[in-house]
Amino acid sequence: MADESLFDFLHMEIVSHIYREQQSSKEEMDNKDRAVCVSVLESMGFRVGQGLIERLTRDSPSFKDELDVMKFVCKDFWTKVFKRQIDNLRTNHQGTYVLQDNTFSLLTQLSNGKQYLDQAPKYLAFSCGIVRGALSNLGLDSVVTAEVSVMPSCKFQVVVQKL
Amino acid sequence: MDRCQFVCYSIGDVSSERERQARMRTALQRGPERGRKQEKKMTVHNLYIFDRNGSCLFYNEWNRKKQAGISKEEEFKLMYGMLFSIRSFVSKMSPLDMKDGFLSFQTSKYRLHYYETPSGLRFVMNTDLSVPNGRDTLQSIYSNLYVEYIVKNPVCVLGHSLDSELFSSRLDSFIRGLPFYSPRAA
Repeated sequence: MADESLFDFLHMEIVSHIYREQQSSKEEMDNKDRAVCVSVLESMGFRVGQGLIERLTRDSPSFKDELDVMKFVCKDFWTKVFKRQIDNLRTNHQGTYVLQDNTFSLLTQLSNGKQYLDQAPKYLAFSCGIVRGALSNLGLDSVVTAEVSVMPSCKFQVVVQKL
Repeated sequence: MDRCQFVCYSIGDVSSERERQARMRTALQRGPERGRKQEKKMTVHNLYIFDRNGSCLFYNEWNRKKQAGISKEEEFKLMYGMLFSIRSFVSKMSPLDMKDGFLSFQTSKYRLHYYETPSGLRFVMNTDLSVPNGRDTLQSIYSNLYVEYIVKNPVCVLGHSLDSELFSSRLDSFIRGLPFYSPRAA
């Protein structure tokens, strides 16, 4: 049980460290600074996701198609990393997927509704990077964004880039 | 007085014999005073959470009939100062080696329970006299609510007052769900 808290606390501190660093020179953070912080977190997550997926798929056979890959991400990958499965996967069969998680593990301690909604994106950037890294190592270049309307439920949108 | 009461029931009553007898039984159980005043008054009055520096992080009340007559800030300072003094008093005057130190005090109307965590957080709960030991309750508030919803909340800075609505609502439902809580207190 201690293992789960280790990552949660480390993640909290990573986010606040990066925001503190960015803010150290100025008084107020403007949107550009916030974007820098989010992209730093996302690229950290990217590398982590790449490594994780290598480890998690070393025993499984190769995937038939894109949809299969997404299903793997929704079930096995999400279970290993976020301790539960994705609740809802939607796609337009043309490269866009929406993954909905109704109790996202990094948001459950924050709030149960609208409080702290503006702070939520900070804590989702790393996870978006993890998903993007995982997909890229499975051969799918993508752009991953996340949105939250009511905590702790959130939606990850994956747009697969075609060459 | 009593006898008059249940004679009235049996005369005015048109329902079955069994029901009449059930009514007589409950009238007897109620004792000399009528109805509600005799029901058990078990309740939690209020709860304070202080940090190690003495600042009050959280306060909520459920069943408080009388206010202290001073501002909230002064009340918190008074509470913390009193606890500090009592704890050092208890440890100095103890005739034996002390294990846990100060646990609770009681008056003829209420009992105050105290729990201090190793990290210096102090939980204080006022309940009525029917609750003998609130320490376990306070400890489970600490481990199941405080640690889960405040310490693990990235937005809550340690040392500041606890703003998280999630924490307040979970604490509220926890207190209301306690076996010794009832919303009607005399």
